[in-house]
Parts: sequence; C-alpha cells; structure tokens
Amino acid sequence: MAISILHRVTGDGLAVVGALGLVWWLMAAAMGQEAYDYFISWAKSPIGYVVMIGLTWAFFQHLLSGLRHFVLDMGAGYELKVNKSWSILLPFLAIAITVVIWALIFTRHI
Amino acid sequence: MGTGTGIGRVRGLGSAKSGAHHWLVQRYTAVGNLLLVVWLIISLLKLSGLDYGSVTAWIANPLVALPLILMLVSIFWHLRLGLQVLMEDYVHDDGLKFFCTLLLNFYALGGAAAGAFAVAKIAFTGGAA
Repeated sequence: MAISILHRVTGDGLAVVGALGLVWWLMAAAMGQEAYDYFISWAKSPIGYVVMIGLTWAFFQHLLSGLRHFVLDMGAGYELKVNKSWSILLPFLAIAITVVIWALIFTRHI
Repeated sequence: MGTGTGIGRVRGLGSAKSGAHHWLVQRYTAVGNLLLVVWLIISLLKLSGLDYGSVTAWIANPLVALPLILMLVSIFWHLRLGLQVLMEDYVHDDGLKFFCTLLLNFYALGGAAAGAFAVAKIAFTGGAA
C-alpha cells in the first residue's frame, strides 16, 4: 500500500513541480541570456537543489514502481513473498540511484 | 434502465468502450517517459556545462530538439492521464469536476505547447544568439 501511495505522490509532484520546472528551464533558454541566468540563480539556490534532488528521487521512485506495475499487469509477481520483497527493495533502489546521480554532479561540474 | 442501485442502472449497457484506451495510452507514454527522460538525464550529465551557451547549442542540434519535443508530448500526455485519475478519485462534485478537467486540459496542452515552442525557437534560431 505504501508503494502505491508513493507512486501517486511522486507522480503528482513530477506532474506539477517537475513539468513546470522543465518548461521554465526551456522557456528561459528560449528567451535569452537574462531569463536563463535568472532560472539558474533559482536552480543553484539551496531551494533549487532541494527541489532538483527531490525531483530526481521522485522520478526514479515513480519509474521503478511504474515498472513494478508493468510486471503486475502481465499477471506476474503476485506471490506474497515476491511482491513484498520488491515493494521493500524499490524505495532503497530509488534512493541509491538519486545518490549516485548527485554524487556525480557534485564531484564534477556546476 | 432501473432506478435501483448503481450496478442495476448500468447492467446490460456494456462498457463505455473507451476505458482500455486510457489505460493503454498511460502505459505507452510511460515507456516514452522512461526512455526519453533517462536520455535527458544522461545527456545533461554528459554536457560540459549547463550555462546558457552550452545548453542552447545543445538544444539547437536536431537530434536533441526532436527527442526533447517528443519527450514533452509524452510527459504532458502521461501527466494529464495520471492527474485525471487522481481527480476522478477525489473530486466528486460534477461542477467542480468539470472545472478541474478544464484546468487540467489547459495545463497539459499549454505546458506541452510552451515547452515544444521553446525548443523549436532555439532549434530554428541556432542556439545562442
């Protein structure tokens, strides 16, 4: 049940904050240097990092639980033990992917 | 059509014939999002910088602009279907539901159009100008 709620919550977050942020980024790039720098000043603020790290986690959590839905759609993975292990494992996997991506970013550029 | 229970009123009418379409498109766009957003994340990690010049030069490449536009369509279509389900679960008043559907459609179409237009503008004007 928790994994299902997480799927919905991360989906809603991505749909609103993620999609608006993406369009803002693209629009700013299309509008010119000044608009883009304004976007970057927000993105590189503490709030910006919290939002972007949060979105990264939300995306991978949603992706992984989405893949779980694909498996369940095919009629597989309903055995209690299998179902339970995946639903416990996926949140850890999503956090691990997020950590790897942001470790890459913080140790290289920007 | 009786006036009894909900199930009594709809029994024998058959399905609305469009439920499976919603379900299927949600899955098609899910696969689209998976491929295209993962591509975006990897591409951004590989870019030398995320400053104005690097980003617009990158978007100006047709092999970047096209998948970006496809990604926007896939994302906004998927989120429209997802938020519709959310709304159907929690908004029960007919008038309010109409209003929410209106807002959702404006948001999904407007967002996809804005993003796609921005990418097209950068692509057609050749990036940093």
